[in-house]
Amino acid sequence: MAEQSKTEYRGGIHQRQKELMLDWYGALDRSAEGDGPPTVSMMVSGNCVELLEGFGAVPIYPEVNALQLAIRHQSLEPILAAEDIGYASDNCAYVKADIGCYLKGITPTGGKMPKPTLVLCNFVGCNTYVKWFEHVAEITGSPLYMLDVPFLRTDAPSQADIAYVVRQLHEVVALMEKLTGRKFDFARFQEAVNYSRQVEELWSEIKHMSKHTPAPFDAYFDAITLMGPLYVHRASREGLDFFEIARDELRAKMQANEGVYDQEKFRLVVEGPPPYPYFRTFRDMFAKWKACAVASTYSTVGGLWEFGFRHDPEHPFESVAMHMLANNVTNRNYLQRYDQIRRYVQEWNADGVVIHFVKSCRLFSAGQGDMRDYFTKQLGIPTLYIESDLEDPRYFAEAQTKNRIDAFFETLEHAKATGKQLAHV
Amino acid sequence: MRIAAGVDVGSTQTKAVLLQENGGFKIIARALTQTGANVQKAAENAFEECCRAAGIPTSDVGFVVGTGYGRYKITFGNAQMTEISCHARGAQFLCPGTRTVIDMGGQDSKAISVGPSGEVLDFMMNDKCAAGTGRFLANAADVMGLSLDEIGPISLQCKRPVKMATVCTVFVESDILSYLSQGKKAEDILGGVHLAIAKRTVSLARRVAVEPLITMTGGVANNIGMVRALEEVLGQKLQISPDAHYMGAVGAAIFAMEKLGQSFESGIWRDAYATSGGH
Repeated sequence: MAEQSKTEYRGGIHQRQKELMLDWYGALDRSAEGDGPPTVSMMVSGNCVELLEGFGAVPIYPEVNALQLAIRHQSLEPILAAEDIGYASDNCAYVKADIGCYLKGITPTGGKMPKPTLVLCNFVGCNTYVKWFEHVAEITGSPLYMLDVPFLRTDAPSQADIAYVVRQLHEVVALMEKLTGRKFDFARFQEAVNYSRQVEELWSEIKHMSKHTPAPFDAYFDAITLMGPLYVHRASREGLDFFEIARDELRAKMQANEGVYDQEKFRLVVEGPPPYPYFRTFRDMFAKWKACAVASTYSTVGGLWEFGFRHDPEHPFESVAMHMLANNVTNRNYLQRYDQIRRYVQEWNADGVVIHFVKSCRLFSAGQGDMRDYFTKQLGIPTLYIESDLEDPRYFAEAQTKNRIDAFFETLEHAKATGKQLAHV
Repeated sequence: MRIAAGVDVGSTQTKAVLLQENGGFKIIARALTQTGANVQKAAENAFEECCRAAGIPTSDVGFVVGTGYGRYKITFGNAQMTEISCHARGAQFLCPGTRTVIDMGGQDSKAISVGPSGEVLDFMMNDKCAAGTGRFLANAADVMGLSLDEIGPISLQCKRPVKMATVCTVFVESDILSYLSQGKKAEDILGGVHLAIAKRTVSLARRVAVEPLITMTGGVANNIGMVRALEEVLGQKLQISPDAHYMGAVGAAIFAMEKLGQSFESGIWRDAYATSGGH
């Protein structure tokens, strides 16, 4: 399969990404042994990792653990462990994988999961998180803080929304001071916010590179390589160094007109996370057609920066609040998500949209049928709708998924060859 | 005269069709076999049986396109296409003017919006569940102690269709047993079964665009009860070709014939063949 070996970009950033993620797991392992930094269990979506830097604390991201388990084909065991104690098969598979990890006391790399200094439910975008984090607190015996981030109901958050979140961030600071016995280092926090600002600038620059034809990287499959460091190390010197390397490598590829494939045939926008237990299989289904994702909503779960938002060291608390409220895809309203995808299709010059419905994530996936109708019927953009799960291997049907994907590309191929308009307007 | 073949390896049955070009395309032979566990063998059997029926050696067939879930197991085939593309193309060929295809097969159902040349404009398929497929009807027939051929005509006698609590292919059995124990008539139970499936299928079809002419394809098109139930829910007549069951194979054979250079659109699929072939 020589052709498929070209479908994956392997550069210096992959090695460095691996090192950074292993550093992170190493820190968690040391914390579990009582010899590491304070740890805070919180969610990726709209994370406030900058605040943690003010205490020298390290995040525990259940989503990163869950995807690492799934991509290593290790997710079913913790899922079954969670189901053994009563979780239903329809519950969020990320929840079950995470709970299973705590029950078994493991991380995906085989290290130990520390008891979090604080379980911080930064309740952004997903109400399952409320119960999830309550359960983590219950199982670990760690204190829980429920950081309530209101959904974005309008185009932008109100001043009251921002003040409400900022007030809670100050409460988190006070609580962390009590729990760690450390004084909050405001200067370090401000420095962290400044690192984030610079990383976001680089990340945004990278995201815009896939406007180029051919795109120098796959903004869905390859973007996942960059997302780990983006969430764990964004607010640090290591993160900045990493993204400078990434920007330089990908820019060189772009300038050399080096694409993901020897000949890019289709440009896609992808909505929804990938089926991690079958990541390679799923990617190959697109690689076979030389189809490259030029943009994805999934890569904006932790933060949406390609449209201009940056953290602001002059207003650190307020900008962290703004990030949590308005600048990550899951806390934004559906019409904003429609518009985000529409912009990707038009500005990144895509041929179609792929929606991956996640069976066990009702909140992220609800409304995707209407989303498909909007793109096919109102905008006339060919849109493929497929479904499986991001974590639970039992929901993936390879033959059916492949069939839909092949049919979609056969249709696109014919339309391209004949210059015909697809889908109903 | 060129001869091309389409072989549709479905989850339940394998269909093969031979097409001959002689001023136009003409179906010269058909074959139908049970797919069973050996997909490769089923495809070979159907293809060889088709050639025997036409009285030609297999070597006379210039190009073979495989379709259906088992298409990549057709070792003697020259290329593969999905059954979505094949049903659309076949329906436009046998029922000209088709704009919508409703295909109900053994384990999946699909709705396809079709363009004037038989090209797919949009499609939707059932989710990973056999509700709304031939398997559901087969299970219902089993519980009633009837054959698959009998249930459609009986359902047409229905006066008061029962309400099915489920369209789950597994739970339908207990639902039917419950109605039987209440003394409900077989025709009313089967009327309810067909109506439930029709509603589910039409709901799927509305996700694309239900525009006339609507052509029904797949093995379930042989079930007159299902056809009438769908027409009732749609409020429109369905076109049913006598070759509805073979439609995927017919479409595949047309693509194969185009590959032989006989079609007005020959060449369009060249890239598709190059990309999908041989995997």
